[in-house]
Amino acid sequence: MDVIMPQLGETVAEGTVTVWHKKVGDTVKADELLFEVGTDKVETEIPALVTGIITEILVAEGETVDVGVKLAVIDDGKEAAPPTEAATKDIIMPQLGETVADGTVTIWHKKAGDEVAADELLFEVGTDKVETEIPSPIAGTLKEILVAEGETVDVGVTLAVLALKDGATAPKAAAAAPAAAPKATPAPKKSKPATAKQSHAAPISPVVARLLAEHSLSISDITGTGRDGRVKRKDVLAHIGGAGSAVGGDTEVVPFTYTRKLTAEHMVRSKATSPHVLQAVEVDFLGVEIARRSMKDSWKAEHGFSLTYLPFIANAVCEAIADFPRINASVVGEALHIHKKINLAIAVDLGEEGLVVPVIRDANELSVADLATAINDVAAKARDGKLSGDDFTGATYTLSNNGSTGTFITAPIISQPQVAILSTDGVSKKPVVIEGDNGDEIVIRPVGVLAQSFDHRAIDGAYSGVFLGRVRQILEETDWAAELS
Amino acid sequence: MAELAYRDAVAAAIAQEMERDENVVILGEDIAEAGGVFKTTVGLLDKFGAKRVRNTPIAEQAILGAAMGAAMTGLRPIAEIMFSDFLAVCWDIVVNEIAKARYLTDGQFTMPLVIRTANGGGSRFGSQHSQSVENWAMAVPGLKVVAPSTPADVKGLLAAAIRDPDPVIFFEQKSLYATKGEVPDGELVDELGKAKVLRKGDDVTIVALAAMVPRAMAAAKRLQKEDGVSATVVDVRSLVPLDTQTIFKEVQHTGRLVTVEENPRLCGWGAEISSIVAEELFYDLDGPIIRITSPHCPIPSADDLEDAYLPNAERIVETIRREVD
Amino acid sequence: MPNDKIENDDIGEEKRLELYRLQLECRYLEKRAYDLFLQNLVKGTSHLGLGQEAIAAGFGAAMHSDDYTFCTYRGHNHTLVRGSSMTGILGELMGRECGLLHGKGGSMHLTSAEHGAMGSYAIIGAHIPIAAGAAWSAQYRGTDQVSVCFFGDGTTNIGAFHEGINMAAVWKLPVVFVCENNLYMEYTPIEDVIPVEHPAADRASAYGLEKIIVDGNDADEVYRTAEVAFAKARAGDGPSLIEAKTYRHSGHSRADTATYRPKGELEEWLKRDPIDMYRGRLAEFGIAEKVISKLEADAMAIVDQATEEAKASPVPSLDAIETNLWADGGSSWRN
Repeated sequence: MDVIMPQLGETVAEGTVTVWHKKVGDTVKADELLFEVGTDKVETEIPALVTGIITEILVAEGETVDVGVKLAVIDDGKEAAPPTEAATKDIIMPQLGETVADGTVTIWHKKAGDEVAADELLFEVGTDKVETEIPSPIAGTLKEILVAEGETVDVGVTLAVLALKDGATAPKAAAAAPAAAPKATPAPKKSKPATAKQSHAAPISPVVARLLAEHSLSISDITGTGRDGRVKRKDVLAHIGGAGSAVGGDTEVVPFTYTRKLTAEHMVRSKATSPHVLQAVEVDFLGVEIARRSMKDSWKAEHGFSLTYLPFIANAVCEAIADFPRINASVVGEALHIHKKINLAIAVDLGEEGLVVPVIRDANELSVADLATAINDVAAKARDGKLSGDDFTGATYTLSNNGSTGTFITAPIISQPQVAILSTDGVSKKPVVIEGDNGDEIVIRPVGVLAQSFDHRAIDGAYSGVFLGRVRQILEETDWAAELS
Repeated sequence: MAELAYRDAVAAAIAQEMERDENVVILGEDIAEAGGVFKTTVGLLDKFGAKRVRNTPIAEQAILGAAMGAAMTGLRPIAEIMFSDFLAVCWDIVVNEIAKARYLTDGQFTMPLVIRTANGGGSRFGSQHSQSVENWAMAVPGLKVVAPSTPADVKGLLAAAIRDPDPVIFFEQKSLYATKGEVPDGELVDELGKAKVLRKGDDVTIVALAAMVPRAMAAAKRLQKEDGVSATVVDVRSLVPLDTQTIFKEVQHTGRLVTVEENPRLCGWGAEISSIVAEELFYDLDGPIIRITSPHCPIPSADDLEDAYLPNAERIVETIRREVD
Repeated sequence: MPNDKIENDDIGEEKRLELYRLQLECRYLEKRAYDLFLQNLVKGTSHLGLGQEAIAAGFGAAMHSDDYTFCTYRGHNHTLVRGSSMTGILGELMGRECGLLHGKGGSMHLTSAEHGAMGSYAIIGAHIPIAAGAAWSAQYRGTDQVSVCFFGDGTTNIGAFHEGINMAAVWKLPVVFVCENNLYMEYTPIEDVIPVEHPAADRASAYGLEKIIVDGNDADEVYRTAEVAFAKARAGDGPSLIEAKTYRHSGHSRADTATYRPKGELEEWLKRDPIDMYRGRLAEFGIAEKVISKLEADAMAIVDQATEEAKASPVPSLDAIETNLWADGGSSWRN
């Protein structure tokens, strides 16, 4: 009996033989510990399934092989198959053409009891295309004829049985031919393909099957209101608690819109892919605030929208990425692909319609003013439903502006395949300690938290932390008024 | 806003683009003085002159070959093939030359040309002047395929097609030429690859194209009134690029998809969309996808034969009543 | 050497050397392509222009750099004489990354748009109206560019020939149509399939064009004919249809051993090998043997270098398969 690598888990595809407890020549008893296997999940002891002698060990300790691969052979004294009194060979109806499905035995050139030599003419077959002479594949005695002259049978049906000469072994079967009953009944001719649509009584549609499975329901739990009592999607949803409206019960069921579904899938996948770590810095936005205030009215008058903190942050992020390029990258296999371009995605909340994340390409080449305009354009397009395919591709880093809702801190979810995402949370007046001329003093400053989630496969806390520090430094120390003019 | 006929929207779009870009030129049979056999290019000769608005001999291979040569060398030609059936006469130029020149030279050529053509049945012209062949074009990589249903879509999508850097076949539905619709004033440029949801419902999503769109809308109205069945109607507008996301969103909402195609039964555009939905939205389907098409025969010419041949609102209503529960 | 011959030389030494150089490069390129095919480095099919170099060279030497060439699948020579990279040509034949088309098109589609080589076309006659279209564009834009369209004798029977030349004549487009009559339409003698003697020249009058026949194996004659036709086109006087008589040394394509040719025909034509003839012509015009030999050595060196460069180039990446269908570089048909 062959000992094979077992499958020690549904998603396990291979295993490593860690320890052999027997060697070649040893006897092993059924259920006795034979070897141990390690997978990436578990170490397991494997017993022998039969009693016998180890005749071969094919995979050494430490070797890793796929599930199903032969590891060793135990001679348990049993033959592979019960021996027959004498070896025989079935003669089957051959396939005499690619599209031929049956054939008629026209002439037998031997009868039961006759000796046949290898390659000697044994019988003839007629199909609707051709008449062919068929020789015997081996030498032997024609033991019995199962299909008479004039009978039509399907390809593969056994026509006769040859008893092989003493000492001869049955040659290995070629392609598997379907085994037939000793007296094969001629197969009926194929009927014309049905054109009528299949009909089933009360079929279960794919969506109904899915909903039943997702909610651990059985079809018999649901009353069907469709044709012939068919259970419709509506019926399952109504059973669960009503689709979109409170129908008695304590639960209102609101099925996901298509966009919600896609968002949900992406978020789960992102968390499953990247080990998220949250880091945050507090930024003193005084410098930004002064510049914003001074430009407030003239900007609004000229551009038609207000100048927010976001373009300043976007500008600082781009500048900091220049010094910390690994923030602007993707994990591909076991490598970090660092992107030369900085394409900033800006998350825009569309309420019912969900979250969209359009991209501003080469954001590092834009000034603060240009960024403000670009961000505003892209958000407007998103709200008007005017974004197209190109607007969504190629992002290398994402900004998620949660601050407009007044939050203190947010742990955002990375937009795959990026390795980091920055949440810009609420800016509000806070007491802050600064080193003044007379020592420490408390002043009131506009303070806000920048919170970055990063992928710990790609970078470590120190790198991310120093990057955030740099962003803060740029925001706090740049002459923003000069940048804007 | 102005009310324009579908045929006038064609001329309006061409005029808008010819004014904007002096490299836009048009050529075709009888398009100059005569303004086109379907009166789709009326006024363009007077406005832009004989150098930019050129009549050609009856020579479809020459018309499209010349358009291709011009598009390769700096112009933006709009070539008319009078009846879409005639694309068969110059099909080599369309599929072997225009559709492939960029790919097989790995990008040495950009081919910003538009082929406009009168498509579809309903006008009693007989089987060689009534075919809907947008599905032929959809099957060939390298061609963008557009088929608008309203005058506003004609103007906006033709302008977008003219501005597109790739070859676009613009299928005008001849049975819609006389229909009228509101068209916004001023410059109008739509977007290829965007379907439009014309009506929102909860029970079934009907996806239609060109002349089938108004019929689908009429059917939806009747279904609501007579059966209380509420249907979503999606006008695909653009077969390549295809707005699969809008179709998915709407089918996911209702759980049922019905396509209405003027093409004969085999290999119409609806077969492709059905296949994509069946593959990618299988677990959102509450029943089989149904395709309403013309029968798999050429188009007969007599009134009642042609009317019964093409899908109409009555057939759409009956089919949905029968197949969608 | 009679002085008056050199004095009255309308072509001049410089142009003659260019004509010889171009013919040599064509000949050596095609021979190398054949050798590489025998070594299984050039795959698929290849249609060689061996023996027809004088036509490519004669027209090529007369063209301005911004003129347009449209040729058939037998277009290696026509593409080369516009200044296209020899490495790019051999690379494309061998399906390598350095190929003119990066391995996406192959021998039948050689193109170098930056040199005005606007494509080699594999469907018989399709490029005739396309060449007319490029000429229309030049006419529209008011430049003095000319579009030149090369095709074989068999092409004169196909529909696009009629449509394209007719429209070019009606619109008086600056396009020169050149029929390379090598006596065989693929495997059939041309006389079996045309009802007139000259497949192109005898059809010219149908389009109101002159009957022009030139010895396609004499590069000087070809050059002179080209100059006349180009001058006519640039002056706004419309197209020309030229029939250049020549002979194909090899089969129609690599697969063809040309056993349909009558005995002795090839040998007769080999005596009129255009390059041998031109070598003699150069001598007649007093060009020194060592100048001639140097041209031959230089041409061979270029082909050798290009062969090595092409062989060293890798096969294209599989990523290229779904690129450059559209102007944005991609091939997406859906969102």
